Amino acid sequence: MTLDVKLGLKVTGRGALTFKRVSGTFFYEMEQDIRQFLGNLQPEFDLAWRITTDSYGYMWIIFEGKRIEDVLAGLTTISDIIEEKGFSDKLLAAVFEFSSVREEGRGGGASQQYLIYNYKRNNFYPFVPLGQKTTDAEQQMKIMATVAEEIPFERDMTLWYPLWDLPLRSLV
Amino acid sequence: MFAKKQPWQKRDTGLTVRMIISFAVLSVLYIVFLSVLAYVGVGAIAIAVIAGILILAQWYFSDKIVLWSTGAKIVSREQFPELHDLVERIVARNNLPKPRIAVINMRMPNAFATGKTPRSSIVAVTLGLMDQLDQEELEGVIAHELAHIKNRDVLVLTLASLFSMIAWYMMRFGMYGGMFGGHGRRDNQGGAAMLLVLLIAIVTWIASFLIIRAISRYREYVADRDGALITGKPSKLASALLKISGTMKRIPTRDLREVEGMNAFFIIPAISGDALTNLFSTHPPVAQRVKKLMEMEAAMS
Repeated sequence: MTLDVKLGLKVTGRGALTFKRVSGTFFYEMEQDIRQFLGNLQPEFDLAWRITTDSYGYMWIIFEGKRIEDVLAGLTTISDIIEEKGFSDKLLAAVFEFSSVREEGRGGGASQQYLIYNYKRNNFYPFVPLGQKTTDAEQQMKIMATVAEEIPFERDMTLWYPLWDLPLRSLV
Repeated sequence: MFAKKQPWQKRDTGLTVRMIISFAVLSVLYIVFLSVLAYVGVGAIAIAVIAGILILAQWYFSDKIVLWSTGAKIVSREQFPELHDLVERIVARNNLPKPRIAVINMRMPNAFATGKTPRSSIVAVTLGLMDQLDQEELEGVIAHELAHIKNRDVLVLTLASLFSMIAWYMMRFGMYGGMFGGHGRRDNQGGAAMLLVLLIAIVTWIASFLIIRAISRYREYVADRDGALITGKPSKLASALLKISGTMKRIPTRDLREVEGMNAFFIIPAISGDALTNLFSTHPPVAQRVKKLMEMEAAMS
């Protein structure tokens, strides 16, 4: 993961992963494994975490840490557990949060910006919410221009589906 | 929702189509006229002179032809004071001659520049362009058109087309030679030479067709760059391009979690038929232009 030095975006240290919740023993077992892993997180990782389920029936595992490497390691381990248990088709997306330091809150709105990793397409796309159910297309294009060469990127913007109301508020 | 075409997909290309049809009709008229002359036995030199006069005439009346074919109307300061102010601000800051300003009564956002010399040039915008773009974006687009004028792109493309036209005439004459060569007293060697000329003419014509498009695309990039330098705000031109092309509207607003169930949709492979369409189009793809502008923006800030 490269930082968007050019755009003046800073990682906030928050990242999350979301997957569809289903009923059944195997899923329950997997959930226990995840909770066990989270409960046994070593203090040297310095990660805060939270589990929540949204109104769409998707489970979210949210990490917040000072070092983005730790957040990444945490997310990778969770996705490994999910895949191991045979639920990889339930994985939807991983989300990484950035905040703009250059222009504080365009038009007074929130300045939180995201890179979404789509597990179905194995690539990233930008998500810059701008008020109610609208996105800042200009900023999203800027992000694409900056990082599209460096990471697997979704160039078909008809697939840049938003994730409204991300449950990524601060944990610490 | 995926089967039904979205409004942006039914893009209104009226302006371009009208221009192309007008010029195509003109070209066909020339060719028919010159062919008739050739048929009734007018000499090759006379035909070349007449063709030259016609090309000059088209060059001379190009403004009127463009205005007429697009339905653009020159507007006075009283009719569109804000538009005049905006253009004057840009030309004053950059020491450029003020073009005449025309407006097209069309909802589709678009703009073009024409004119034989920078002094006699015209910048035309559609009403839709003024509606949809904010002040800075409109400035970006007009600066782009002013850059076309400053770079004399109309002249460049007319000259480039001239070669294509000459190749076309050569092709026509080559064909006459091939068709009527039989009952003349030409020997086989003459026929072969004629065929060679025909072949070269065809290759030249195809090559010039592609080259004109390549030049045109290149001039677009240059006008983007120069236009962005004129306003100092590359990202504003980029966002105008995104709005004009309807790219903005293509970014979905439905939540990923809602569409995830329609799995079939994710299977659609990312086919890119881009390479071929790129070869034939006069404008580079919007994404590419936006990318370059954003790189400029990053370099400037």
